[in-house]
Amino acid sequence: MRLNFNVNSETKELELNSNETLLDVLRNNGYTEVKCGCNEGECGACLVLLDDKPVNSCQVLAMSIKNKKVKTVKGIGTLFIPHIIQKTFAKAGADQCGFCSPGMVIASYSLLKENPNPTYEEILEGLDGNLCRCTGYVKIIEAVEKSAELINEKN
Amino acid sequence: MLPNEIEWYFPSKINEALKLIKRQGVILHAGGTRILKTQTKSVKGLVDIGGLELNYINEKGKSFHIGSAVIFGEIVKYSRETGNLKMLGTALSNAASTPLRNRITIGGSLKDFPLWSNLYAPLIALDAKINIINSKNTIIPIEDYVSKGIIKSKHIIKEIVVPSDKNLIWGVKRFTLIRFEYPLFNIAFSLKMKDEIIEDARLVITGVQGRYKRFKRAENILAGQKLNEELIGNCEKLITPKFIADYKYSAEYKENVAKVYFKDLLTEIAGRK
Repeated sequence: MRLNFNVNSETKELELNSNETLLDVLRNNGYTEVKCGCNEGECGACLVLLDDKPVNSCQVLAMSIKNKKVKTVKGIGTLFIPHIIQKTFAKAGADQCGFCSPGMVIASYSLLKENPNPTYEEILEGLDGNLCRCTGYVKIIEAVEKSAELINEKN
Repeated sequence: MLPNEIEWYFPSKINEALKLIKRQGVILHAGGTRILKTQTKSVKGLVDIGGLELNYINEKGKSFHIGSAVIFGEIVKYSRETGNLKMLGTALSNAASTPLRNRITIGGSLKDFPLWSNLYAPLIALDAKINIINSKNTIIPIEDYVSKGIIKSKHIIKEIVVPSDKNLIWGVKRFTLIRFEYPLFNIAFSLKMKDEIIEDARLVITGVQGRYKRFKRAENILAGQKLNEELIGNCEKLITPKFIADYKYSAEYKENVAKVYFKDLLTEIAGRK
């Protein structure tokens, strides 16, 4: 079947089956920036914003999100117009293989929107649903701290 | 992805939803995390509760009414912003992860009662009540909901009524090796005090045989007493949860950890007073 979804502030008609997750539907319709990691809600590679809240898209049945807004990492910033968080992640060396980065950026974006000056502990909590097997997290946490600083300066 | 194609229903009234779930293979859908985890092949239809207006937290008198569609993340946020529901908010802030807390609903967790749930221990310790709708609208203590088997019947959870914890001394703790892990058990207690004397106590553990246990003999020896080292030692002897051994831990090991957790929490409180 085909249904309308609001993805990255655009209404798009997407092809889906009634038993598919939001992750399946997004990836099958070209939103491959949303990564499939564990498919069990543990790794956070598939994070998207659903009505501005980060969720594991592998743990959301697509049919259940009628009238809700989905934002993927490309809705935050693109290669040509990156968001401060994306630029800071690159500059800080917070991504190595890059597989976890879309989810990390989504989690960081949501955290900083809710809490522009997070403490170290609050950053840990904000990223508690994201796994990274390369960096050891130190540079990721530094990138979030730096992003907070730069966003606050800009505002 | 679920194993079967699903018929979806989006009712706007609780009675409509109730009729639908009486059909074979049709169940309620709130956040959907449990449905995806269990991958049950018998599920043919899902009734989404998003349109039933069960997404609210209302303060009424000395209690808080939480609609069954409220996600854990909202309860944590409400607790931090208002200073209310601190015990429940603290317990749920440790459940799963931030993105999962944005999908897991209080109603879904009440209905399923997974052994790792952070939800039941504080609710039983607070003597919460649950409002369910089947052929009639009923409000029952959360303990009866589990112990009398009502949890297994076909019904819709409308809301949970949680008494204020403002005048209580309470503690919650869960047993995990790392932060992001299903807990093997959760403990919670609440003490109603008057002039440093315990008037009423509720000590609860979940993740044990029979899903949960209240330690009524320990509660009885605490009542009417002032919290001190000797009383805590006597109380600890009466903490006797029955666990099932698993591939990591023996039942005896878990029992001993539970005793230590209760003792530590109570000792910390006694030290603070």
